[in-house]
Amino acid sequence: MAFLAPKPMDQIEDGDLRRLIARCDELGVPDARFGQILAHKPAQAKAALGAIVHSHFEGNVDHRLKEIIRIQLARLAEDAYFASLRSRKALAAGLTEDMIAAGCGDYEDSPLFGDAWKCALAFAEQMVLDAAKVDAAFYDEMKRHFSEAEIMEIGAFIAIHFGVAKATRPLNLGPAACPGR
Amino acid sequence: MALEPEKIDQSTFDELRRHYTDGDIAELTMFLFFNLGFHTFFGSLKFYPMFAPDGRLVDQEESARIYGEAPASLAGGGGAAPGDGG
Repeated sequence: MAFLAPKPMDQIEDGDLRRLIARCDELGVPDARFGQILAHKPAQAKAALGAIVHSHFEGNVDHRLKEIIRIQLARLAEDAYFASLRSRKALAAGLTEDMIAAGCGDYEDSPLFGDAWKCALAFAEQMVLDAAKVDAAFYDEMKRHFSEAEIMEIGAFIAIHFGVAKATRPLNLGPAACPGR
Repeated sequence: MALEPEKIDQSTFDELRRHYTDGDIAELTMFLFFNLGFHTFFGSLKFYPMFAPDGRLVDQEESARIYGEAPASLAGGGGAAPGDGG
């Protein structure tokens, strides 16, 4: 049972927040329950949910790559809730559980990914496990595959979604029920 | 949360509720969303203050020479806490 109870939708007075929570439910990440927990503080909830959704579903970087990175980060943070969620957009674009397993495991040797995706997966993994390894040489390698705008997009995405998974784990939400899986 | 999240349990939330509303706890949690990750990412980018201590606008190379590889703020010298007179 979550340590902060979801606020019932009929008690959320802010219409923009209700619409944002409904959109989250359509996208699959995060689901409505997460938004309803944040809704205890509506103004901050709108900003936080907006950043979470925008960083994941907008931008120039392949959404499937971001979804693999998001799950990789949730597993590294040992957050069962975010690790269990799946983006419907990524699944519709062809993301498979085999790709997710490879991305969260020995991605360097996986034939499923090219060098650019492997570099981005290493970027996320090293940011969590040993940030000192994300140095000038690492950024030079990232620049071989991504523009500076894309590197900022991926870096900010990692920062947001690792922090979200890490801070969500103690809320004890448990795995989500995920339609489409 | 940052070092040992497994230590946060029901009793932690019971203690928090002695001091904060559920809204405040949600607000603190959302604040942590962004602070846990962005410090690590921005730290990896190695950017330095735009201004020297005397107020001059300086480039990143000069700023790195002035402030060094290990900023004082990471060694506990970053500033004063409210109420301690600094």
